[in-house]
Amino acid sequence: MHDLNPTDVSKETDVPVDTRNDATAKAADKAESTAKAEAKAASKARRSKLFADLAPLIGLAVLAIAFVVVGTSSGTNMSYALETLINQSVIIVIIATGAIFIFAMGSFDISLGASTLVAAMVAGLVHNATGSLWLMLGAAVLTAVVTSLISATLAAVFNLPVFVTTVAMLSVLGAVASALVQTTGGAQIRVDRSFAREYDTLTVKLIVAAVFIALCVFLFNYTRLGRVEKLIGGNPITAKLTGVSMKLTAIAAFGIAGLGVGLGAFLTVLRTPTLTVTSASDIGMNILVAMVFGGMVISGGPRSRIYAAIIGGISMALLNQTMAIMLQGMAGGAGIAQMVRAVLFLAVVWLAASGFRTKVLPR
Amino acid sequence: MRITRKTVAGTAAAVGTTLVLAACSSTASPEASGSPDADGDAAALESVKMCVLVADVTSSEALSFRDYYTQYVASEFPVEFVYSDELADAEAEKTAMEGFIANNCEAVISFASADRPTQLDMAEDAGIYYAVATGALSEEEYETFKDYEYYVGAIGPDVMTEYQAGYDMAQYFIGEGDTSFGIFGGGIPYYLEMHIYRAAGMLAALAEDPTTSYGGATEMGDILGKIYADGTINIGDFESDVYELTGYLETWDFDAAWQASMADMVGASPDAILAVGTGNAILGSAVDGTGIQIGDIDAYTEDNLAAMENGTLGYLAGKFTSINGPIFAATYSAVVGEPYRTEDGSAFALSQGYWTATSAEEFQEIIDADNVETPVYDADTLTPFIAQGATFDEFADFVSKYTFADLAG
Repeated sequence: MHDLNPTDVSKETDVPVDTRNDATAKAADKAESTAKAEAKAASKARRSKLFADLAPLIGLAVLAIAFVVVGTSSGTNMSYALETLINQSVIIVIIATGAIFIFAMGSFDISLGASTLVAAMVAGLVHNATGSLWLMLGAAVLTAVVTSLISATLAAVFNLPVFVTTVAMLSVLGAVASALVQTTGGAQIRVDRSFAREYDTLTVKLIVAAVFIALCVFLFNYTRLGRVEKLIGGNPITAKLTGVSMKLTAIAAFGIAGLGVGLGAFLTVLRTPTLTVTSASDIGMNILVAMVFGGMVISGGPRSRIYAAIIGGISMALLNQTMAIMLQGMAGGAGIAQMVRAVLFLAVVWLAASGFRTKVLPR
Repeated sequence: MRITRKTVAGTAAAVGTTLVLAACSSTASPEASGSPDADGDAAALESVKMCVLVADVTSSEALSFRDYYTQYVASEFPVEFVYSDELADAEAEKTAMEGFIANNCEAVISFASADRPTQLDMAEDAGIYYAVATGALSEEEYETFKDYEYYVGAIGPDVMTEYQAGYDMAQYFIGEGDTSFGIFGGGIPYYLEMHIYRAAGMLAALAEDPTTSYGGATEMGDILGKIYADGTINIGDFESDVYELTGYLETWDFDAAWQASMADMVGASPDAILAVGTGNAILGSAVDGTGIQIGDIDAYTEDNLAAMENGTLGYLAGKFTSINGPIFAATYSAVVGEPYRTEDGSAFALSQGYWTATSAEEFQEIIDADNVETPVYDADTLTPFIAQGATFDEFADFVSKYTFADLAG
C-alpha cells in the first residue's frame, strides 16, 4: 500500500505549483482508487465468506423444499418419511459432530466406521450377557473411547501422522470385528429384537443427540480446547510456538470423537440389532460426506464449524430421501443417485472452497 | 471457460431441476393393464404397488428373476414393482424398508436375508404384507412370526432340499466315476445356512463309502455339526481310501490370497469342483480348457448354458426363471384381501426344489420351456390363484408341483 503525502511530493520534486497541484490531484486520485479497489476487494471477500458460510444452510433449505415438493407430489407418507429422515441421519450426525474435533485440527480418522462396528458388537455382546441397557451403553462408549485413544496415543508416542495410525487401526478393527462375530458361533451378533425395539425410538435418539451436540458445541465454541484445535488446524507451527500441547489436544479430540462413536454405536445396536462384519461399513464415508455438505473445511482450522455435521447430516438424509422418492422403480436409479450425489458433493466443495480464496488471513 | 461459483451453482441447480422433472414422469401411478383372467374376463384386479428387497442386483439369476417380474408379470397383472438397491447388510435392508413404507408400498417380497426379523417387524408395524421368495425362515423364526397378520409366507428350498441338492450333485459325479474333488464353499464362513447344508450333502454323499469320513463324521447331523463348529471345511479332516479332496475355496473376496487359493484348487486338477453356488460365475474361466467340470447350484441363465455347452459346467441344479410366480400370486392375493393361511390360520412355509440339467440339451430344453417371454408360471397358470377364491390346500398343491415334468413336461 502506498500512502502519498502531497507536501512531501512538493518538497522532493521542486516543481511549479500548478504542476504540484496536478501531481497531488493525481496522487489523490490514485490513492482514492486504490482505497476503492481495496474496499471493493474486501467487500468481495466478505461476500465470498458470507456466501461460503451460508451455502450449506442455503443447500439445506433447497433440499428441504425439494424433499417436500417431491414427496407431496408423489404421494409419499410425509410424516413417516420425516421420521425416517431423522432415524437415518441421527447416528451420522452424532459421530460426525464428535469427529469435527479431529478434523478441525487438520487430522483425518479413516477408522470411524470400523470403530463404530467394534463398539456396537461389544455393546451387543455385553447386552446379551447381562441384559442391561446401561451396561450396553457403557460398553459401547468405553470401547469406542479406548479405540480412539489408542489411535491418538500411537500417533503421539511414535510421532506419526494421526491418519497413518487410523489406517492401521482400520485393519486391526476389521480383524477384531471378525473375531467378535466368531465368538457367537455364527455370522451375526443378534441382540434381542424386542429389547431393541423398545428403545429404538425418536425420543431416545433425540435425547442422546441433543446432549452430545450441546456438549460438543460448548467445548468447541466456548472453551480453550475448541480454540486451540482451530489454531492447530490453521497453523500447527504457530500453535506449537504458542505453547499448545499438540499431543494432549489430539488425545482430547480423539476422546471426544470416541464418545460420539460410542453413542453412535449404541444407537446402531438399537436400530439394527443384527450385526455382521459388514455393518456400519459406510459410516466412515457418510461422515466425511456429511461434514463437507455441512460446510466443514477438510483442512480444518479457524473456519471449522461444529454445526457442519448437523447441517450436513440432515442435508444428506434429505438428498437421499428425495432421490429415493424420485428414482424409485427407475432402472439404474441407484447409479443415477450416486452420480447426482457426486456432482452435488463436488459443487458444495467448490462453493465452500471458493469463499476462502482471499489474500486475507481467515478470522 | 472460467468456472465460477455461478457456473457451479447453475450446474447443480440444473441437475436438481432435471431430476425433479424426471421424477414427475417416473412416479406416475402404474397402469392397471388388466390381463384376462382364467375365465377370459377382463381382470377386475386392483392396482398394487409391490416392493422387492434384493441383496444381489448383478448376477444373471437375480436379473432373470427381476425380468420375470418387471417385464412379464407387470405386463400381465396390474402391479408395479419397485426394486431396492443392492442390500449389503441389515442396516441397508432397514433403510430400504423405511423407503418402501414411506412410499406407500402395499407389499414387500424379500430376497434379502441379513435381518428378516426386523423386516417382518417393520412390515407388521406398517401394515404392509411381507413374503419371502426363494428362501425360508428358520424353524425358530417361523414359530415367532407365523401368526403375524401381514406375514404372507415363504416359498423356496428348505434346508433339507438344500442338503439333498448337494447330495445329488456329488452322487452324480461319483456315478460318472470321478474320485477327486475340489469344493467351493461360498458363504460357509458367513454361516450361510443354505451353503452349509449343500456342502454337508456333498460330504455325506462321499461318506457313503465305508472308508470315507469328514473328521470322523459320516451322517448328516455330525457333518453339519462339524461345519458349524469350524465355520469352514478343512480338507485335512477328510479321510478316504477312495476319494480325494484336493482343494477348498470359500467366500468371494477376490483378493490376492483368494486368487492364490483358487489357483491352488484348480492347479490340483480334480475331476470335478462341487460348488455350493455361483460356481460357474466364480470358477468358470479358471477351469476352462482344463478338463475339470463344475457342479453348481445356481440358475438357468445364458451364461450357464454356454458353460454347459463348452463342457465346463457338468451339472446344474438351478432355479428356473419364473420360480417366483407363486409367491407373487400369494402376495397379491393377500393385498387384495384373500391371503392364504394354513389350517390353523398361520402364514405358510412351502418348499420348492431345483430343476437339474447334466447336458446342454437338457439345459436348452429347460430354458425353452421357461423364460421371461414364455414362463411356465404364466398368466394363465397363476391367475386361478390370484384372488380367485382358491383354498390354501389348492395353492399348496399348486406350489408342490414344481418339477420340470409337472410344469413343462
